[in-house]
Amino acid sequence: MSQTKKICCVAALAIVLLSLLPWSLGVYKLHVMIVCFFYVMMAASWNLIAGYTGQVSFGHAAFAGIGAYASALLSLKAGVSPWIGVILGTLIAAVLGFCLGVICLKMGGIYLSLTTLGFSAIIQIVIINEYEITRGTMGLQVPGFFAEYSKLSYYYLLLIGALITLAVVYAAIHSRLGVNFRAVQNDERAAASLGVNVVRVRVLAFTISSALAGFAGGLYGHYLLLITPEIPSLDQQFLVLSMTVIGGMGSFAGPIIGAFSLEILSEYIRVYGEYHVLVFGLVALVAARFAPRGIVGIAQDIGMVKRLRRLMAPAVRGRA
Amino acid sequence: MSLIEGRAVCRYFGGVNALANVNFAIEKGSIVGLIGPNGAGKTTLFNVMAGTIKPTTGRILFHGEDVTDQPAYRICRKGIARTFQIPRPFGTMTCLENVVVGIINNLNGPYVKSDVEDKARIALKFVGLGDLIATEARNLNVVQKKKLEIARALATGPEILLLDEVLGGLNTQEIGEAIEFIRLLRDKQNITIFWIEHIMGAIMQAAERVIVLDQGTVLMEGTPREVVSDQRVIRAYLGE
Ligand SMILES: Nc1ncnc2c1ncn2[C@@H]1O[C@H](COP(=O)(O)OP(=O)(O)O)[C@@H](O)[C@H]1O
Ligand SMILES: [Mg+2]
Repeated sequence: MSQTKKICCVAALAIVLLSLLPWSLGVYKLHVMIVCFFYVMMAASWNLIAGYTGQVSFGHAAFAGIGAYASALLSLKAGVSPWIGVILGTLIAAVLGFCLGVICLKMGGIYLSLTTLGFSAIIQIVIINEYEITRGTMGLQVPGFFAEYSKLSYYYLLLIGALITLAVVYAAIHSRLGVNFRAVQNDERAAASLGVNVVRVRVLAFTISSALAGFAGGLYGHYLLLITPEIPSLDQQFLVLSMTVIGGMGSFAGPIIGAFSLEILSEYIRVYGEYHVLVFGLVALVAARFAPRGIVGIAQDIGMVKRLRRLMAPAVRGRA
Repeated sequence: MSLIEGRAVCRYFGGVNALANVNFAIEKGSIVGLIGPNGAGKTTLFNVMAGTIKPTTGRILFHGEDVTDQPAYRICRKGIARTFQIPRPFGTMTCLENVVVGIINNLNGPYVKSDVEDKARIALKFVGLGDLIATEARNLNVVQKKKLEIARALATGPEILLLDEVLGGLNTQEIGEAIEFIRLLRDKQNITIFWIEHIMGAIMQAAERVIVLDQGTVLMEGTPREVVSDQRVIRAYLGE
């Protein structure tokens, strides 16, 4: 299978480059790369539910917040090591995702979107108002992973986190489950008539996706060292959505490309104020209408046109 | 005991009685035709049997077991497969993947990817889509989409297959081949066939019994010969 080989080569090359890259980067650029990795995790896992099963969740940032605050509070109040905390935070996000999924995925369609929108608002309100526990908008100081703070260590940690997330997503979409994801997205009724347990498939996708968001949030929180209700905010949610849509929903590479390009771009335009999320949202809307497969889709179309030209070239020359 | 049975099945859509007290029984190993004018309730009956929609009242029994309240996916796993009158392919997936869906959700043994794909290839060849294995289903024409419907349904390993107007768009010779194909399913694979069709000639040739629906009720039931010579049937089809 040359396709699989090609993917493996690209992945291996990317990993080697990314492991060598930090030696040429300053502190600021290291930080930007770390944030990029966080968004790769967020966008890739959101793509699993939105891009592959067609269920739009607005609770992805909220689940990242749950992962971040759960891990932070466990290490602060119970003295749990952040390493264990992140794992527990992931599990808590998974359990909450599962419960929420069971409640609203039976109804299908728009209900998941509405419920997660409400859920997301509740999570943020709770975090803001439970000042005693979460320090509200002041932010909660959390311990880091390493005794000695170094951006380089975090760079590799988040890189590994992103690779784990991508590996889980890849495994999911290339397994039996992944085939069912796409069947459900294409036509629930036809899927059910062929034996697909549609509700179970949707709940599983949502649970995995939410758990991965919790994982991303946990890692990110212990990197930032100060977590605020910004993490589970709708701003964050729409940024992740924009990254996925602009990069290319329903493709493996799309969210990765979207996360890197939008995060790096927003570093450049941040000086003009915090309007970038709004701009990205608008661009995402336009993309959803005119280029629903995002950057990846556009690239594929250009590749197709080139290949066609090459195929046509001899014929054209022959006629001349 | 009949393979599948409907008892006093009713289905209302608002004021429309799509099915009004329908009773029927189908024996294992038979080919039964279901005919009736447009809007008679034929597709609705299939939907109810396959669990795609629920009856307003009434029961469906499969092997004597009441399956009325079971979800569609479970009914499929029990051995009732159906095609859709208007094909519903998974458009962004290849023909192979479309069929794979039917196989992997009805496995008895462990999942082995290469085995599943081999099986799917065989199913596609069987319906005459062997050359289109890697084609995305949305790029098929209507006849090919109908063939894909049948391949997918067969891939679930059914005991009974509900065919909803699968001959549309075929020429006379192809219709002949399709009838042969359906007979083969019953003779070689022992699949019971319940078959909605507008083309009376085909039903006449292949079916052993015919059920005639009209305005949501069973107008009559009998051999094809009995049915076509029945005055009520002629009136239902011709008289308006
Ligand atoms: N989902 C639905 N909603 C409302 N009315 C429906 C629905 N499905 C079928 N009907 C109505 O029920 C009747 C029977 O339809 P159908 O079973 O499709 O007939 P047939 O397949 O015999 O042509 C028609 O009057 C049709 O309009
Ligand atoms: Mg019909």
